Amino acid sequence: MKKLAAKPVQEAVDFLRKFCPEVPSAAVILGSGVNVLENLEEIKSVSYQEVFGVSPGVIGHSGALSIGRCEGKLVAVLRGRFHCYEGHSWDIVTLPAQVIVEWGVPQLYVTNAAGGINQNFNVGDLMLITGYRDHLNTKYQETGLLSQITKPPVSCNNALTDKIVAVAEQLHRQNAAFTPLQAGVYVGLLGPNYKTLAEIELLKYLKCDAVGMSTVPELLTCHGTKTMAAALSVITNVWKPEEAVGGHEEVLTAAKEASLRLDTLFNKCVAG
Amino acid sequence: MSAQDMKALFKGAKLVDFTGKQAGFVHLKKFDREFVDMLRDCKDGTKAVVVIDHGFGGRYDSPMVVRDHVNLSGNNPLVGPNNPIGERFPIVQGIYFDDCLREANRGVVAGLKDNAKPSDEEQQALREIGVDICAYNMVPSMLVAAHAGWKVLGIVLPENGSLSTSQIDELKALTGKN
Repeated sequence: MKKLAAKPVQEAVDFLRKFCPEVPSAAVILGSGVNVLENLEEIKSVSYQEVFGVSPGVIGHSGALSIGRCEGKLVAVLRGRFHCYEGHSWDIVTLPAQVIVEWGVPQLYVTNAAGGINQNFNVGDLMLITGYRDHLNTKYQETGLLSQITKPPVSCNNALTDKIVAVAEQLHRQNAAFTPLQAGVYVGLLGPNYKTLAEIELLKYLKCDAVGMSTVPELLTCHGTKTMAAALSVITNVWKPEEAVGGHEEVLTAAKEASLRLDTLFNKCVAG
Repeated sequence: MSAQDMKALFKGAKLVDFTGKQAGFVHLKKFDREFVDMLRDCKDGTKAVVVIDHGFGGRYDSPMVVRDHVNLSGNNPLVGPNNPIGERFPIVQGIYFDDCLREANRGVVAGLKDNAKPSDEEQQALREIGVDICAYNMVPSMLVAAHAGWKVLGIVLPENGSLSTSQIDELKALTGKN
């Protein structure tokens, strides 16, 4: 496969420092069809191509970085991401998160559209990721995944996830229509195919609550850095034994509705 | 797809054997680019393939017909820019044909990374998940076939297992090949 000429992390950071001399107080990476923080003030945008030297290639991901203000706080919103299933190297898949870390952004919110494994979930639920499983890392192309089926998930609770929980509880108290957050373990699969029934059994055995093909790279990248990361899944379908698995379009529709609640949540979290 | 239509699909199916044991099959050493190209070539209208692979670490010592799989290889032959022959996010359920070889076992195969061998603990976990046998070539073959819209009859042969004469005859009758 042709090697993409991505910019090194430092070059991308230098570009952003010129584009926006003030370091944002938070960054948000958005997944397929998840649209939030679209009404920032003093907004300016730049394409992924310009910032990173590469652009992602999936419908529903525009690949743009926008910077604007939310209640006075400067926020960077990254729409689109690089996925392992596209054949990108780990360096490219983690490039946006690495740049956020190097830029010195103290908080990173990550979102994705995910399938629900947990049978108590409903389509349109928001799930705070409290633990994750890495089944997509390019390093497993060398070793295989066997070692992962006897390991516990990686816990990812921190002050930022605590804050999200507190803000969500407050929003629910103010308005019952803001349904409480779900919480659980997210497994990032390599893809690109949808899972088989036997693979769903595997994920249940591993106590996974939601499944997708992203987010783990960002959480791994921020781990141990000064950038605190928290991730939320929009549950776009819930696996039921009697139903067929959904396609990409269904994912985009369900994500849109939950985006409204996510928008309220993020506005409040980022501003506070 | 009805059982009848499914059966009809296998008339003229391609025959691939990774064990080197079956006469009349194309013998391949391992899943590779050449095989991918073969599965994406449907000039002769065939969209069905019989795949035989080595199995190990299994519950059976006789042939097993695959009814489902888990991919634990850490990789996927569909990674990279999507080949327009299929969907970017293909659904791989329902691609297995197992309405034949009645007396053979049916089960779930785990696709492992080449040369990977489960530890005792991993073997135990595989059992609990419902995995019946492990193989190296079956799962990537299945994924490429599913993506290209093919149906697959997957047969996993444990180390000392082989198809019986009557099973071979049944395969011949199914595929119309000798």
